Amino acid sequence: MKLKYSLFSRRQFLNGLLGGWVAALMGSLVYPVIAFIFPPYKEPDEVILPFADFKGMAPGEVRIFAWGSKPGLLKKNEDGTLWAFVGVCTHLDCNVAYLPDQKKFFCACHEGWYDEYGKNIGGPPSTPLRRLSLVIEGQDLIIKKEAPE
Amino acid sequence: MNIKDLGPGLQNWLDDRLGLSAIMDFMKKKPVPQTRHSIWFYTGSSILLFFAIQVITGFMLILYYNPTLEEANASVGRIMTEVPLGWIIRSVHSWSATFMIAIVFIHMISIWLIKSYRKPREITWLTGVLLLGISLFFGFTGYLLPWDDLSLSATKVGTDIPRSIPVVGAWVTSLLRGGEDVTGDTLTRFFGIHVCILPIFILILLAIHIYLIQKQGMSLPLKEEVAKKEVRNIPFWPNFIYREMIVWLILVGILFTIAIFLPPSLDRQADLMAAAPEGLKPEWYFLFLFQTLKIFPAKILFFHGDTVAVLLILLGFLYIFFLPFIDNKPTEFKGKIITWSGYAFIIYAIIFSVWSLL
Repeated sequence: MKLKYSLFSRRQFLNGLLGGWVAALMGSLVYPVIAFIFPPYKEPDEVILPFADFKGMAPGEVRIFAWGSKPGLLKKNEDGTLWAFVGVCTHLDCNVAYLPDQKKFFCACHEGWYDEYGKNIGGPPSTPLRRLSLVIEGQDLIIKKEAPE
Repeated sequence: MNIKDLGPGLQNWLDDRLGLSAIMDFMKKKPVPQTRHSIWFYTGSSILLFFAIQVITGFMLILYYNPTLEEANASVGRIMTEVPLGWIIRSVHSWSATFMIAIVFIHMISIWLIKSYRKPREITWLTGVLLLGISLFFGFTGYLLPWDDLSLSATKVGTDIPRSIPVVGAWVTSLLRGGEDVTGDTLTRFFGIHVCILPIFILILLAIHIYLIQKQGMSLPLKEEVAKKEVRNIPFWPNFIYREMIVWLILVGILFTIAIFLPPSLDRQADLMAAAPEGLKPEWYFLFLFQTLKIFPAKILFFHGDTVAVLLILLGFLYIFFLPFIDNKPTEFKGKIITWSGYAFIIYAIIFSVWSLL
C-alpha cells in the first residue's frame, strides 16, 4: 500500500537515523564504564575452618572468624550447639560485639541490641543478626551462606 | 630600557595579549550594595579562602600519604611524627575542612533566609547546593583516609545508609565501597574520589557558580527590592576586596591558632574484624543526621525505621535543592513559611547535634 503523504521528511528520517546511531554509540561507551565501576566481589559461598581450633570452646563463648571481609561470629550455646552469625549489625552494618556477662550482642554505632540467639531486642535494628548454616565434616568446620533450617 | 619602566611595560605587554584591564574595569564598576544583610557577602570569599588552604595543604599531604590497607594509618602517623611540621599541615587541613563546611552552611542558610535564590539566581542556588554536597562528600571521604577504628566504623555506617533507598540503594553502597564491605578497596576508592574526582567537579561547579554571581551581580534583600529603595553601593575593587582581606586575615589567624593547639588525633590501625568502638561519632556536620538515624524505631507500621529515616532525609535534601522553584511567591504567605522552614532547619540541626553529644 502506498501512503498519500509521507509520515516524515527525508531530513527527519536521516536525523532520526543519525540520532539513533549516536545514542547507540553513547550506550556502547557508557555500558563498559558502568560495568567497570561496579565491583565484582561477592560474599563467599562457604568458609572452611579447622574444627580442632574450635573444639575447646566453653559454653557461652564467642569466637571471631573471617567471613569474607566481614567478621563472622561462632558461638557455642549453653546446650553445646554451635551457631554461626555474620557479625554485622542489620541496622547500618557496624561490627557487633558479644557481651558475655549480659548474654547479648551489642552494636556501639547506634546502640542496637540482640539477645544471645541473635534476635533483635532493642535499638534501631529491625531484623535479627544473619545466621549462617554450619556442618562438621571430619576435621573441617564448614560454614555456608544459607540460613540454617 | 630603564628598570623602572619594566613594571608598566610588562603590564602593557600582558594587557595587550590577555585583556586584563577589561577584568579590572569590570571589578572597579561592580557595585556591592551596603545593607544590613551585606555581612553575609563575606561568607562566599571565606569559603574560597578555606578551599585554597585545602588545596595547598592537600598537595603537601599527598606527598607522604600512602593509600593502602597496610600503610595508610602508618603513613599518617609518620606525617604526624616524622615529617617536619607535618602535624601542623595535617591539623590545618583537618580544621580548614571544618571551617569551610561551617561557612558553607552559614552561606547557604543566609541565602535561604534572605531569599537570594529568587529569579534569576536559581541556577546559582542549584550549583550551590551541589557544592555543599561535594564539600560534605570531601569531608566524608577524607575522614576514612587515616584508616583508624573510628574512621572505619563511620564509613561503614555512612556507606550503608544509601542501601535503605529502594531499588538503587544497594548499587550505590557497592559503588561507594568498591565491594560488599568496607575494605582496603574502599580506602583506595575514597582516596581517588577525594583527590581526583571531587576536585574536578568542585572546580567546574565553582566556575559556573562564580561566573553567575559576576554576571548577575549581588542580590538585594527582598525588602529593599520590593520598596525600590536607593541602596548605597561600594565598588568591588578595591573597597570590598580590602574589607574581605581583613576578614581573611582574622580567619587565618583563628584557623592556625586552633590548628596548633588542637591537632586531630590518630587511633590505632582499623581492624576489619573488630567490633565497632563505643562512643562512635561522625564528624560534627553529620551529627544531626546521625542522631536522626539513631532515634528512629526499628519498625514504623510495615516499614523498616531506617528506610523511613533515609527517605525523609532524602526528601529534605530535595526540598532544599528545589527551593527556588518551591518558593515562587517570596513576598506572600507561602514565602514566609519557607523562611520559617529555614529557621526550623537551624533549630533542628542544632538541637539534634547537641542531643547526639549528650
